[in-house]
Amino acid sequence: MSEYIVEMKNITKRFPGIVANDNISIQIKKGEIFALLGENGAGKSTLMSMLFGLYEPDEGEIWIRGEKVKIDSPNFATRLNIGMVHQHFKLVENYSIAENIILGLEPIKKYLGLFPYVDIKGASKDIGQLSRKYGLEVDPHKKIEDINVSLQQRVEILKMLYREAEILIFDEPTAVLTPQEIDFLLDIIEELRAGGKTIILITHKLEEIKRIAYRCAILRKGKLVDVLDVKTSSTREMASLMVGREISFKTEKKPAEFGDLVLEVRSLSVKNSDNFDLVRDVSLRVHEGEVFAIAGVSGNGQVEIADAIAGLTDIYQGQILLNGKDISSYSIRKRTLEGISYIPEDRQSYGLILDFSLAENLAMKDYHREPFSNGGLLDRDVINQYGNKLIDKYDIRSSQGIRTQVRQMSGGNQQKAIIGREIELQSSLMIFVQPTRGLDIGAIENIQRMIIEERDKGKAILLISLELDEIMNIADTIGVIYNGQIQKIASADSLTTKEVGEFMMGVTA
Amino acid sequence: MSEVKQERKSKNLSKRVILNILGNDKWQYLTIPIFLILLSFVVASIIILLLGKNPLLAFFNLLQGAGIMPKPSYGGYKSILTDFLTLLNFMTPMIFASLAVAIGLKGGLFNIGVSGQMLLGGYFATVLIGYSNLGSLVAKPLVLVIGLVGGASLGGLIGFLKYRFNINEVVSSIMFNYIIQYVLSFFIHTRYIDPVSRQSRYINPAARLTLVNVERFGLRMDLPIGFIIAIVLAIGLKFFLDRSRIGFEIKAVGANPKAAKYAGIKVGKTLITTMALSGSLAGLAGASYYLGYFASIQPRVLPSMGFDAIAVALLGNNNPYGIIASSFIISIIEKGSTYMSSIAGVRQEIASVITGLILLFSATNVYIQHKIRASKDRLQEDLGRELEE
Repeated sequence: MSEYIVEMKNITKRFPGIVANDNISIQIKKGEIFALLGENGAGKSTLMSMLFGLYEPDEGEIWIRGEKVKIDSPNFATRLNIGMVHQHFKLVENYSIAENIILGLEPIKKYLGLFPYVDIKGASKDIGQLSRKYGLEVDPHKKIEDINVSLQQRVEILKMLYREAEILIFDEPTAVLTPQEIDFLLDIIEELRAGGKTIILITHKLEEIKRIAYRCAILRKGKLVDVLDVKTSSTREMASLMVGREISFKTEKKPAEFGDLVLEVRSLSVKNSDNFDLVRDVSLRVHEGEVFAIAGVSGNGQVEIADAIAGLTDIYQGQILLNGKDISSYSIRKRTLEGISYIPEDRQSYGLILDFSLAENLAMKDYHREPFSNGGLLDRDVINQYGNKLIDKYDIRSSQGIRTQVRQMSGGNQQKAIIGREIELQSSLMIFVQPTRGLDIGAIENIQRMIIEERDKGKAILLISLELDEIMNIADTIGVIYNGQIQKIASADSLTTKEVGEFMMGVTA
Repeated sequence: MSEVKQERKSKNLSKRVILNILGNDKWQYLTIPIFLILLSFVVASIIILLLGKNPLLAFFNLLQGAGIMPKPSYGGYKSILTDFLTLLNFMTPMIFASLAVAIGLKGGLFNIGVSGQMLLGGYFATVLIGYSNLGSLVAKPLVLVIGLVGGASLGGLIGFLKYRFNINEVVSSIMFNYIIQYVLSFFIHTRYIDPVSRQSRYINPAARLTLVNVERFGLRMDLPIGFIIAIVLAIGLKFFLDRSRIGFEIKAVGANPKAAKYAGIKVGKTLITTMALSGSLAGLAGASYYLGYFASIQPRVLPSMGFDAIAVALLGNNNPYGIIASSFIISIIEKGSTYMSSIAGVRQEIASVITGLILLFSATNVYIQHKIRASKDRLQEDLGRELEE
């Protein structure tokens, strides 16, 4: 028997207009943590989808435990003890945790040896044991819609373990988690490995690889660039191999030159439908040529501030002034026309209409005005030309150009489309919420550079981010939010990362 | 070995033919529904065979009854042309009603209240214009306008209830269906009833949207004016959805209301507009049903056409042109059934069974698409392997 548990030999997979995987060969040892590193669209997920039977390779062979196999369905992959946690979880929202875990493998018992029924009680007990064994405590009776993302991920992991998976594939598992949750997850992964499992980790976060992976395969544009021993390689080396050029971890920027006051928020309060205060008495000012960043742990009201300024959320109290004009009572569209661009946190449910074409999405905020529409009729030619212009200008990659359904584009390119669209609005204020979430280093660098460029053009930038590095990197002024209240506003130079971190946790100086 | 290969090849051949026809992505929107309709007729044939009748004859009788194929003999003043015109007359409200469902679905709303909106539009048109002495040139347009306004106001109200009080449109539509059915029955029974037919009194012919018993070429035929309007409207609706600003907004709200709101579209207003448009089409369906195909209203009965329209719209893939085609097919089956039962001795209800089968199979459209894509991939692999061998 071969020393490798998984061998993928000369794998090629083509999609219309693109070669997703080009002659890739990797070998994975039993009991190791093997990382797949690459930018968005480099072909990591495609490669693993073939291992999990979601696609079949056009060319090449897959060998599992020294035997050649043809994995034509996830069911077959499961039979080979391969499990996968997808980036977007595949759970039934209104089923309980236990029901989700046993789905497809329901333990059947019979009343009086005659009438079959699903033994949910027994299953719950098994799941309880399983979760205690691996330190993944869950309440099997809770419904998926009632638990948070991190717990949902646990359910996905338990689902694999319940199916006795030995080879565990994690697709970008930390993209949706907070720093503490990431720590926890990485510990769990290490524990699973110690328990004899083989782990394949798809990621573009170098620190994670450095922390737990043994070896790391680097993919770029569908090709395998190198397989590195993580211990003996530097993150810088990995990053440059991944992007194909040297990466500067620090964004170059000129000192800020503040101009006129653009945005003024005066004692803003926002309540949710249960009358609970999400934002309390927040005041802030953003000038031309200033990046004002709101730092804070997720869920402390920062997104609600952005929504309130853009008009997506009703405000309870306070005023929002744009260029000296009170826009508190304006509609969303009127605010956009007054000069607000908004890159929302959730690009797939707010930023884009996934079933519409790329051209339509790029014109989503302009379609109603001339020359995009005349006398109530859309001008498809203008919309298409505009789409092509933005595709060129912002390097938005897709398989069929303006006609591409946005759903089929990679996350990074979806984000480029949104940012391009919002920059083209030429607004005086640009709000970025988590603009680099889930993106790879190359894309992050690119987007941060664009933000600085817009600042240098004299735009006022309001940046909301959970990544402290990002805030320290590009902000001119930092406001730290905790529990809906601004704890501290100061120029970025006068604060250290440690201080910001303390304010974020509600430690008052 | 060679035998096995031979067998595989011949198996592949039939598969290849089917895949070649259905596998072409460009034409799939046409080929798959046609394939599914044929499939339904195959299943219907089996049922008719089990009843001991000849299915081909029965289907031929359907076409004869609907005026597509000539009957062996016709009564006085009748011919294949008069039968065909009757078919179009029946098809007219079906097109309107299905368009009403389709525009709702495009906007993310399920208008299950088309029947109620038809009845309301038809009732007002009947009472206000149908029983008046207005001349034909004034009455006919007014019938259309009043039908449209009647349906639109009810549709708009349902949209408003959803927007203002977050009442699901399915629930309120169904409730309104009952309210309208019984309230209007009360008025028909107490004020407009014809004691012999137990229906509302016949309307003044000047107000009728179908010209009845027009004598031409030695025939007496029914000319459905509404049919032309329905076709024009279907084309107009296609243009509206593809090219107009409001059409774009309706589709955006239907596809993703959150993103539509973020982009600055007034979601509530769009919901109300969508329902009002859907209701107005349903109102036109009511006008052409009660003041075109019939000339009176049967109290205490909701037109089943309003529910059939849901299926017709789905069969037509919510595309106005597709709906013209699917209305045509379903109308043939419904209209030809009387003749089929009298000639072939197959019970009239078999027509409903065929319709039901078509709708059942058409619901599998997406599944078939998926299956074809999968087997296309597999076939290509097999071919590749054969070449290697």
